Amino acid sequence: MSRITPPILSLALQSETGRVLSIQSHTVQGYVGNKSAVFPLQLLGYDVDPINSVQFSNHTGYPTFKGQILNGQQLCDIVEGLEANDLLYYTHLLTGYIGSVSFLDTVLEVVKKLRSVNPKLAYVCDPVMGDDGKLYVPRELINVYREKVVPVASMLTPNQFEAELLTDSRIVSETDGREACNKLHEAGPSKVVITSININGNLLLIGSHLKEKGLAPEQFKILIPKIPAYFTGTGDLMTALLLGWSNKYPDNLDKAAELAVCSLQAVIQRTVDDYVSAGFDPQTSSLEIRLIQSQDDIRNPQVKLKAERFI
Amino acid sequence: MSRVTPPILSLALPSETGRVLSIQSHTVQGYVGNKSAVFPLQLLGYDVDPINSVQFSNHTGYPTFKGQILNGQQLCDIVEGLEANNLLYYTHLLTGYIGSVSFLDTVLEVVKKLRSVNPKLTYVCDPVMGDDGKLYVPRELINVYREKVVPVASMLTPNQFEAELLTDSRIVSETDGREACNKLHEAGPSKVVITSININGNLLLIGSHLKEKDLAPEQFKILISKIPAYFTGTGDLMTALLLGWSNKYPDNLDKAAELAVCSLQAVIQRTVDDYVNAGFDPQTSSLEIRLIQSQDDIRNPQVKLKAERFI
Repeated sequence: MSRITPPILSLALQSETGRVLSIQSHTVQGYVGNKSAVFPLQLLGYDVDPINSVQFSNHTGYPTFKGQILNGQQLCDIVEGLEANDLLYYTHLLTGYIGSVSFLDTVLEVVKKLRSVNPKLAYVCDPVMGDDGKLYVPRELINVYREKVVPVASMLTPNQFEAELLTDSRIVSETDGREACNKLHEAGPSKVVITSININGNLLLIGSHLKEKGLAPEQFKILIPKIPAYFTGTGDLMTALLLGWSNKYPDNLDKAAELAVCSLQAVIQRTVDDYVSAGFDPQTSSLEIRLIQSQDDIRNPQVKLKAERFI
Repeated sequence: MSRVTPPILSLALPSETGRVLSIQSHTVQGYVGNKSAVFPLQLLGYDVDPINSVQFSNHTGYPTFKGQILNGQQLCDIVEGLEANNLLYYTHLLTGYIGSVSFLDTVLEVVKKLRSVNPKLTYVCDPVMGDDGKLYVPRELINVYREKVVPVASMLTPNQFEAELLTDSRIVSETDGREACNKLHEAGPSKVVITSININGNLLLIGSHLKEKDLAPEQFKILISKIPAYFTGTGDLMTALLLGWSNKYPDNLDKAAELAVCSLQAVIQRTVDDYVNAGFDPQTSSLEIRLIQSQDDIRNPQVKLKAERFI
């Protein structure tokens, strides 16, 4: 068998999808990290190359968990393996929860390396640091995200708490949310989606696309129905869907967000319904999402909640 | 948040699918091992829990590869984590390539443990040892498969070479193939599919289902079109498809095999066509399969090659 290297088809053949390197956790059971992000992107037609930053039996919210953690060197090894085979041409890089400064620093090296191969690489970064006012990563990561990661991100998908940390501001109104997006654009990413904001008892998504420097960004909001239950993996799912749809509609972030929100809501609703059908009160524990059972809603979302442009 | 444990929905709610523990390799790039097996099963509606026995940049047929290998103890750790959270109830166990006797021995412990939780667990085993007369695992594994693994397998999916090794016979005719299936039934599995046999220039699949001890097994063959190219991951894909469809048609192994063959042929044909479209001669190198692009053919195979029952 000859040693001629075949082309990477996901790049050689025109398509509205791409080739995503996704560096996230892997849990054997359950749907968080790469378990939550990869399948939806594959459904949307993307070739996804997952580097699993950990392999745990289940996520860390269970009473116990066991498994292995990748260190920075092991991450480098894998990237070197890809490089040695000319396999480092990606259209997208996706990252989510990262647990240490050293791993985050290594990820920054990976961004540099990928961009030396493809300068147009889109880096979709979920700056996972905490939620509902609670930090769940080492405090030192905040500055690394702020100073080093945000400037190299193409699209950022913080929640309200993370957007506040990254902009050193409080978000209590839609105007505050829009202003936080403006600050983040200035720091780096041309696309920002604050995925969930609580304002006056309502749950909102605020998105912002800076199409041209010097012009005002196009900004919008989507009002999201509150579903009284806790889930794991929904943030990872949301960021993956935003990557998937914003690549298909590169000039319509509001449309991409509508499609992502629609799929997410369908997954959440099915999850609650199924736990109730199984005789379980969905409010008694955090729930694993019904990702597999919702694949039609991920492939073909029927948009119900529309984006409202801010004029 | 309460510590009440939610039910495992894939088991609590009736469906024609199930919950699969799949212990196979993970390659960041390309489609072999779990990268080839998990997505198709998810498309068919299964919740799949993958334990990645290795994490390599790419498969070992490339000029180089880098990554990490799981040892038996680390596999045990993960299983212990699942056990501690009452997450060991699976309907199916799936294994493919295993590189060492110690890891295979650990897998046997896992079979025992899973069956203590669910005595009806279906163990689908692809006894990967070699192909085309060439062994590509340590010689010591042959006896472990023969003496210890085959007896506990529910369905076995050897190729011609592996079937010969396991039955200590040569397969040069359809009768030989059927006889090998009979021997394997006696040793353990009630379902056997010899996935590819070269007889007189034809490529065949031979399947055999022993529905009741003492009755003759129902046996069939499917004539498969030869496509002049080499692929990686097609064996792993085939076994996953056989698991997926034989669970949906538990009394019709021939129908399950038709559906599996149909999907596999579609993936293979699309792969060849796409490499040709990209200007590459598909015979110059082994090819990565176009799994993502063939998802409709995996979800909804349109059977063309029919099974022929042996009377």
